[in-house]
Parts: sequence; C-alpha cells; structure tokens
Amino acid sequence: MSTETASTTHEDRGFLDRLLASPFLSDLLSNRLAILGLSLILLITLMGVLTRLAVFVGVLDFGTILDTQFAQPRKHPPCGNPTITGWLGSVGSCQHPFGTDAQRRDVFLRTMYGAWLALKYGTVTVAASTVLGVGLGTLAAYYGGWLDNVVMRTMDVLLSFPSLLLALAVVAIFGTGLWKAVIALTLVYTPRFARVVRGAALKVLEDEYVDATVALGARDWRVIVRHVLPNSLAPITVQSTLNFGLAVIDLAALSFLGFGATAGTPSWGWMLTKGVENGLINGLWWMSFFPGLFLALTVLGFNLLGDGMRDALDPRMQDAVD
Amino acid sequence: MISTRYVIKRLVLLIPVLFGVATLVFSILHLSPGNPATVIATQQADAAEIQRIEERLGLDDPIWVQYVRFMVEVVQFDLGESWVHNKGEPVTDILRWKFPITLQLAVLGQIAGIVFGIPIGIISAVKQDTITDHISRIGALTGISVPIFWSGPLIILLFAVHLDWFPTNGLLSNGPLPKITGVLLIDSIIKGDIVMFVDAAWHLFLPSMVIGIYSMALISRMMRSSMLEVVRQDYIRTARAKGQGEKITLLKHGLRNALIPVVTVIGIQFGSLLGGAVLTETVFNIRGIGMLLVDAITDGDYPVVQGIVLLFAVVFTMVNLFVDLTYTYLDPRIEQ
Amino acid sequence: MAPDTGLAAPVRRLATAAAAGVAVGLVAVGGLTLDGTLRGATETTFAFGALALGVGLLGWSGSVMAGRGIENMQRYMDTGSDWTESDSRRAMTRIIGFGVGVMFAASLATALL
Repeated sequence: MSTETASTTHEDRGFLDRLLASPFLSDLLSNRLAILGLSLILLITLMGVLTRLAVFVGVLDFGTILDTQFAQPRKHPPCGNPTITGWLGSVGSCQHPFGTDAQRRDVFLRTMYGAWLALKYGTVTVAASTVLGVGLGTLAAYYGGWLDNVVMRTMDVLLSFPSLLLALAVVAIFGTGLWKAVIALTLVYTPRFARVVRGAALKVLEDEYVDATVALGARDWRVIVRHVLPNSLAPITVQSTLNFGLAVIDLAALSFLGFGATAGTPSWGWMLTKGVENGLINGLWWMSFFPGLFLALTVLGFNLLGDGMRDALDPRMQDAVD
Repeated sequence: MISTRYVIKRLVLLIPVLFGVATLVFSILHLSPGNPATVIATQQADAAEIQRIEERLGLDDPIWVQYVRFMVEVVQFDLGESWVHNKGEPVTDILRWKFPITLQLAVLGQIAGIVFGIPIGIISAVKQDTITDHISRIGALTGISVPIFWSGPLIILLFAVHLDWFPTNGLLSNGPLPKITGVLLIDSIIKGDIVMFVDAAWHLFLPSMVIGIYSMALISRMMRSSMLEVVRQDYIRTARAKGQGEKITLLKHGLRNALIPVVTVIGIQFGSLLGGAVLTETVFNIRGIGMLLVDAITDGDYPVVQGIVLLFAVVFTMVNLFVDLTYTYLDPRIEQ
Repeated sequence: MAPDTGLAAPVRRLATAAAAGVAVGLVAVGGLTLDGTLRGATETTFAFGALALGVGLLGWSGSVMAGRGIENMQRYMDTGSDWTESDSRRAMTRIIGFGVGVMFAASLATALL
C-alpha cells in the first residue's frame, strides 16, 4: 500500500472531482461484470419504485397485491399453461404472466412489489449497520489504545459466529417479525463495517496532512468529518454494496424459516416459502419460481457490482500475473 | 510431527469455550422476554400452577444462584429436559440421534465443495482473465447469490419430481433409521445392508449437492485469489527464472502455499455450513439438528436451543483443531 | 498458558476492568430500578454482565486457538491487518474482567438490598 494515493487528497478539491479523476471509476466502468451488476440493480430498483408509485397514486389497487380475502383458492398457472416451455411461448399476451397464487393473487404484481420491500428493508439494514460501523470504526481508529483493541476484538468475536446462526440467536432475544429481523441483521453486519472503516481511517490518520491539521488545533470531530470520513468513503461503499446482497438474502432466509415477514406480506422470502408449501412439488412451480428468481438476480447484481468495486479499489489483484 | 501434548493442550481450551458459550446462552435466556414457566405450562394453567413450575425451575432464586446452578449442570453434561419438543425427554438423548444426521450432511457437502471448488479455483487463477476464468467466477458468484431455499426446491422439482431420479425428501424410502452410530451411511455398512446404503446415498445426494454448491463457490473464490497472490510472490519468479516449466512451477511451489489460507477459510466457514444445513434440512424435510433448532426457537424450547448451541461450539472447535493440524502438514516451517 | 512475562500485567488489567464493571453494574442496577423492580433490574444487569463474560471467554479461547492460523493467513495473504494473538487476548481479558465486575455488582445488589 503506497501512501502516495492518500497524500494527494487535498480538501480544496471537491470530492466529486477527486472521484472522477481517480482511476477507480474508469476501472469500474471498464469491468463488464460490474456493469452487468449495476444494470441488474437499476432494473430491480426501477421495478420496485415504479410499482410502489403506482400503488401510491392509485393506478394499482393495493388489494390485488395484499388481499387474502378470496374465499375459494383457485390457482392459476401463468397464461393458463402449467408447463415451463408452454409459458415461454405465451408470455406477454396474457392477464397473469407469472400466474396466481393460492389466494388467487397475481404473482407478477406481488413480485414487482417485493422488489420495493427488498430494497426498503435492505437499505435500512445496510444503512443502520453502516452508521454503527462507521461510528465504532472511526472511534477505534482515532482514539486507539485499549479502546481500539477492546472494540475491534469484540467485533472479531462477533464476526467469527456464522451470520445466520447469530441472527437466529438475536431473533430468539428480540422476537420475530421483519423489523426484528432487520435489527438482528444490523447487529450481525456492523462488525464488518467497523473493521473496514477502521482500516481506512487509520490510513488517513497516518497521513501527515492530518497531523498538521491536528497541530493547528482542529477539533476531533472536525478531523473525522472533514478528513477521515471522505477518504474512507470508497471502502465503505464497497462494503455496503456487498452487504446489500447479503442483507436481501438473509432477510429472505429468516422469513423462510418463519422469523421474518408474516402472512400477506408480498416479500420475496415469504412468497417463496408459501409457494413451496402450497405445492411446488405438485407442479405449481410459478408461485415460488418468480419471487426466487428476482431475489437471486438482485443478490447477484449487488455481488457483481461489489466485486468489481473491490477489484477497482485494489488494482494489485488485477496485475497479479504479468 | 504433531505431539499428543499439543492436541491435549488444544482440547483443554474447549473448557473456556464451553464455559463462554454456556454463559452466553444463560444471558440470552434471561434477556429474552417471556416467562419460561408459561412455555411449559398448559394453556389452562392458573397462576398457582405457573408459580409451582417457577419454583421447580428455581426461577425465584437470586440470579447468581441460578447462574451457578446452571453452570454446575452444564459441567455435568446435564442439559436438562425439553420443555416442548417431546416434553420431558433429556436434551442429550435428543441431540444424540439428531446430530449425526446433520453432521453427515455437512461433511458430505463440505467434501463436494472441496472436490469441485479447489480445482475450479486453480484453473480460474491459471487462466486468469480468459473466458474460462470469467465463467467460473460468474458461476461462483451465482452460487453465492442463489439462495439455498430457492435452488433447493427447484432442484427437487427438476430431479426428483420431473425426472424422478431422486427421492423428494427424507433419509430412507421405508423403515426406521437404524440407530447404531446415527450416521446412516456408516450404520448401513455395519449392518451389511447394501440396499439400505444405496438408498441412503440416493436420498443424501441432492441435499449434499445443494450445500456443496455454496461451499464450492466460496472455496473456489478463495482458491483463485490465494493462488494469484502466491504466484505474485518472489520465489515463484525465481523458480520460473531458473527455467522450470510454467505448470510444474505453479503446482510444485504455488499450490501448497496457496492452500494454507484456503484451509483456514474452510475451517472458519464450517460454521456457515451448519447455517446452510439449517436451511437445507428445512427444504428437504430432513429431521436433523437444523429443523430442531428452528422448531425450538419458534416454541421457546430453551433447553434444546442451549444444547444445540453448545454442540455447535464443540464441533466448531474440533474442526478448527483439525484445520490447525492440517497446517502443520502443509507447512512444516510453522513451529508448534 | 501463562506468558513468560509474569502474571502482574494481566491481573492488573483484569482488576481495573472488574472495578469499572462493578461501577457500571451498580449504576445500571440503580438506573433500571427507577424504571421497574429491583429484581428485574438485577436480573437484566446480571444478564448483560454474563453477555460480556461469555463474549470475552469465547474471544480469549478463540484467539489462543485460531490465533496462529489467522496470523499465518495474514502473512500469506498480505492483507495489511494488524491483528495479533496477544492483542486480542489482552482485549478479551478486559472484557472478561468487566463482565465479571457487572455480574458481581448485580449479585451484590441482590444480597444487600
């Protein structure tokens, strides 16, 4: 790790200028996999936001998404054709492109709305653990000493637990429900952010420029806000991106095990569970196939982009073999 | 070589590990809302009945008395009795037969992950930035991104329902499990029952593959970056400069060193494999520790939860001891 | 398993942390009692102390157990992290001391009040 990159960061240049001038962005944009990931994320975001907007302005009846009141369940295959090949032939020209579920709700609309929920709960989880992690990480890096050691080593212990099992332990304490699952996962992810932020912050603090600022009498929080945070932004973003995928998949997993979303919620995890229960094996594949497909695509999108960002940040991995 | 004294020293460390886990379980138990007595009591129980149960469990004692008593019981391997699941059955008895089922699944999955993951990682590193590399990297990322609880049901649908090559769920086609060691594949060999062995392997194939895909994805990614890192290091360049063939150089010097971090990762991620087993068991309706854990948390059956957590800690410790011994084999320079 | 440097430093670390734990524990019991019953307050405080003790014990044994592996992995991977086994053990000693202190304070409160 050379210190040259860190010492070129002066505050008279705006953050955006620095970002555009850095090789990070061009490296990232030349990475086809990362672009693919970004496109997937944009697509899913568009899906979720548009559906939510449609419900909000009343174009779409929320009842058709949420309603559980239909008395007689009549499962409808996509476009009236129960086989996968048959579906491929007739998609686009029918009323229920993804079929209907056991309550005769349209799986397509529910899946679209599920995108909104995945993004909403994923964002809250990642944002909360980012804030907590940034707080703990900068605190540890800035003050050092025994505080640093105690905070970071505790984070290490938490990191060594398998994430799903740790989340289950937290759920056992706090109880079940989507928001409780968000709390559980926030606690599970915080250590990763704390670790990344501390590393980045230490690198900034080693920089002589910060020493000079401190000598001039700048306050602790000023140094942190003006120098440490802007320069740790890139690793934090990478971590957030990778964790977004994890958050989406883990929230769905908790729902699948019965500790997250509850009846009626059109979240992907819950739809998947219900779809499997209601007869995937009897050939009613569409109820769980579509929510799961979009779940997987979302996670893949975030993983592809996150991976690309990490490579762009750490270019030595690319020229490893010369 | 590995001294017995070293292994014993490591095993002694199990004591603080278990002590720590038991203490954590105790605190979780007392931080979680709800009165255990109401979990045990029947629906119609009145206040007096609940108080009797509280007294029987010692919930009215000062908390430090409860803590000491709890610790003494754990030390004696007395994990208590289940409150809900098979009410009254000792937890140790329940775990005795559930655990081998999960262990078998996790180990088979891990083996599948290693057998496929390491070669894929190596090929990906050797052919860096070629189409082969891209395909295997996308494959690995997809393996991590696709949730087990989606791929599992789809694999069941395709291979078990449509093609009818494998059974959809469970461990045996018919008859009760032979309870000798609890590990089905070993039990059937002991019994000399080839039909049962084949039947068990047939049932275990899909669930182990589902776990294995995830493990394979992780291992191949780690193997790739570790291999690239090692190749970058000086002694490989030196060896190459001396004129040895590219492939031989890689295999002779690179592989052994590249395996060291991979082995660590295999050890550390064995825990997530257990997490994966929880999901896989639910998908394939295999009544092992994973399904038991989910049921126990749902029902507030804390003695069972506690027993499972302690068991996981022991397994995790043992796996990492094994990993440590593997190092010594891979790199004799690491002194003990 | 005792380091050659003698026991003085770890014991001092443990004692300082325990003293801090007792102080925090007493304050916590006091604060929680204002908001509920004394019994509930001591139980919750004790449980939080146990949480710290549990994490500390696991971390301590974990770093002794896996420390060599992790240090090696970092040497090979050149990750630039500064994790060391002795640092980790030191931090965990503090957490163990703190947890025991909190638990002790909570027990003391039950016994005295």
